[in-house]
Amino acid sequence: MKWILFFGALIGLSICGREKFFGDQVFRINVRNGDESSKLSQLVNSDNLKLNFWKSPSTFSRPVDVLVPSVSLQSVRSFLKSQGLEYSVTIEDLQIYREMDSIARDFPALVSRVKIGHSFENRPMYVLKFSTAEGRRRPAIWLNAGIHSREWISQATAIWTARKIVSDYGKDPALTSILEKMDIFLLPVANPDGYVYTQTQNRLWRKTRSLNPGSACVGADPNRNWNASFAGEGASDNPCSEIYHGPHANSEVEVKSVVDFIQGHRNFKCFIDLHSYSQLLMYPYGYTIKKAPDADELDEVARRAANALASLSGTTYQVGPTCTTVYPASGSSVDWAYDNGIKYAFTFELRDTGHYGFLLPANQIIPTAEETWLGLKTIMEHVRDNLY
Amino acid sequence: MPPAVSTPPAPRPGVPRPSALLLALALALCLAVPGLQAAGPGPGPGPGSPGVPGAPPPGLLRQAARAALHFLNFRAGSPSGLRVLAAVLRGRAAVDARRTCRVDLEFTAERYDPEVADGRLGRCSARVVFRHQKPRPAVNVTCTRFMETSRSRREDFLLYKRAKRLRAPLGATSIPNSHGWIDPSLRPIWDLAFLGSSYVLWERTTQTLHYYMAQLSSVNQWKTNEDAIDFDYMVLLHEFSTQEIIPCRIHLVWYPGKPLKVKYHCQELHTAQEGSGTEEGSAVAPTQPNNF
Repeated sequence: MKWILFFGALIGLSICGREKFFGDQVFRINVRNGDESSKLSQLVNSDNLKLNFWKSPSTFSRPVDVLVPSVSLQSVRSFLKSQGLEYSVTIEDLQIYREMDSIARDFPALVSRVKIGHSFENRPMYVLKFSTAEGRRRPAIWLNAGIHSREWISQATAIWTARKIVSDYGKDPALTSILEKMDIFLLPVANPDGYVYTQTQNRLWRKTRSLNPGSACVGADPNRNWNASFAGEGASDNPCSEIYHGPHANSEVEVKSVVDFIQGHRNFKCFIDLHSYSQLLMYPYGYTIKKAPDADELDEVARRAANALASLSGTTYQVGPTCTTVYPASGSSVDWAYDNGIKYAFTFELRDTGHYGFLLPANQIIPTAEETWLGLKTIMEHVRDNLY
Repeated sequence: MPPAVSTPPAPRPGVPRPSALLLALALALCLAVPGLQAAGPGPGPGPGSPGVPGAPPPGLLRQAARAALHFLNFRAGSPSGLRVLAAVLRGRAAVDARRTCRVDLEFTAERYDPEVADGRLGRCSARVVFRHQKPRPAVNVTCTRFMETSRSRREDFLLYKRAKRLRAPLGATSIPNSHGWIDPSLRPIWDLAFLGSSYVLWERTTQTLHYYMAQLSSVNQWKTNEDAIDFDYMVLLHEFSTQEIIPCRIHLVWYPGKPLKVKYHCQELHTAQEGSGTEEGSAVAPTQPNNF
């Protein structure tokens, strides 16, 4: 989302001038000729609008990105319209892909961007692979985000985490030792079509955008589509439902892409799925009330992770198995992972507990990502020390 | 006396209803329990984890706490005094032969508005009675004040005065916007919208369903020329556990210190709740609501 540029810059620079970025937008202004460039200079020179040019308007062969504070939005829009300047408000999924690309290019020894498949509407599914081992297929951790498109804090936390990993590798002993033994795969946008839809049409869209034959309703719940008690309790067979499980397991190409990759790899030890909201840290099962064989160990790890998370800002998480902590849910990613031999399978429901819900303010992104990182690290350290 | 778990009805295709597992879970959550379970705030004991055997899981207690607070918020009629759940302290539950579930609990509450939240908690005790899978739980709740009455009256009047001066943006709106931004000048609208929604949120809550106000999606009317604020609007409610977004139209009339008047109508979508009392979800709040 537009936040990406904001905190991307914040991480890059240790000092930032303005603390608050919520409500601001990034305008991409298309400058086509000298006449337009001089009009843009008028904008540049207007002190009172407090604009911030991400890309300098000095070379006008490319579009110019401008961070427009919320207070100036109306004025800037009117100005651009009156001057006939073409602009668009930048679309976040491209932002995330560009950011991923930039991370991979900046840290080629550590990171590569891997295409694992495509979405229903043919958008690429990109994963960042963090690995210090050339060629060898080490035990691996999968970080899944954005499977439910309206849970924007999930994608945002994922991309912040990617930056965190590259900047802390070699400096943070815990992270460094994790990466000496294991690879980390990060999928920031597991549902790209849904994500674009939340930006352009319906901010509260949850599912994929696949078409359902015979129904006017679109999409299936990608977190009810995995082959773990598929179509069991806690899912719906109605295509119009938000928890529609789809016509069959892995019917959603977004899900199938991940399944195929993980199964092809054959050495995943940990699978973590990031959602919002409710502040919960859960482990299998969702599809049954029966206790998972490793529930005691997973519970202990989850409690330590929740405590580590809370140590930063006091954010409290409830811990427990999915079915009884939140509600029964069949066909979920984490249950599938667990039943396929990936013991350390966890679901995070990130901030908040309902005040803003899905519409978490931008000023909570970094605090959320920072505290979540402590929880993630606790889990990853445990995996590192308990490889099987 | 724990009830027998009866066979749930066979699923009808295309009509989602509380699933068999959910029903079994709801009953399991409602075991008769002698005595109280003490549970500390923060990451609490998960169900099925080491703890007092047979104690009601935190899920049911939180459900009851939410219902109690929505009801309290509605009855108090004070947008500055809105409260949300902080932590469940302790509770017990009992279920009778008609599968009516009675929950007695204690919990802490904090101020709704996080920007002015000063960490002060009110302490509440409540009895909440859920009729089997039916909405409109019966609530009896008392909370200690985290703010003196005179101060909350003052804040309500300040909000009232700001509201009177406010020219609300009429028509479709998004408050908060996609990025969670609420313009500070529009905050009174948001607080009043939540106050009105409290009635709806309370009425619709069952043992297994609860709601949050996701977004204010339209301001149909904002009349401030007379004494009371007359506010007609649409909200989007987020329903757990179905994950549905439910549009509701709410019409409230508010004057500081007076009981809140609320009417509402929620769109019932493709997922009609089987066994619910009012299919349409319309209701007019009585001016002297029963507190039973």
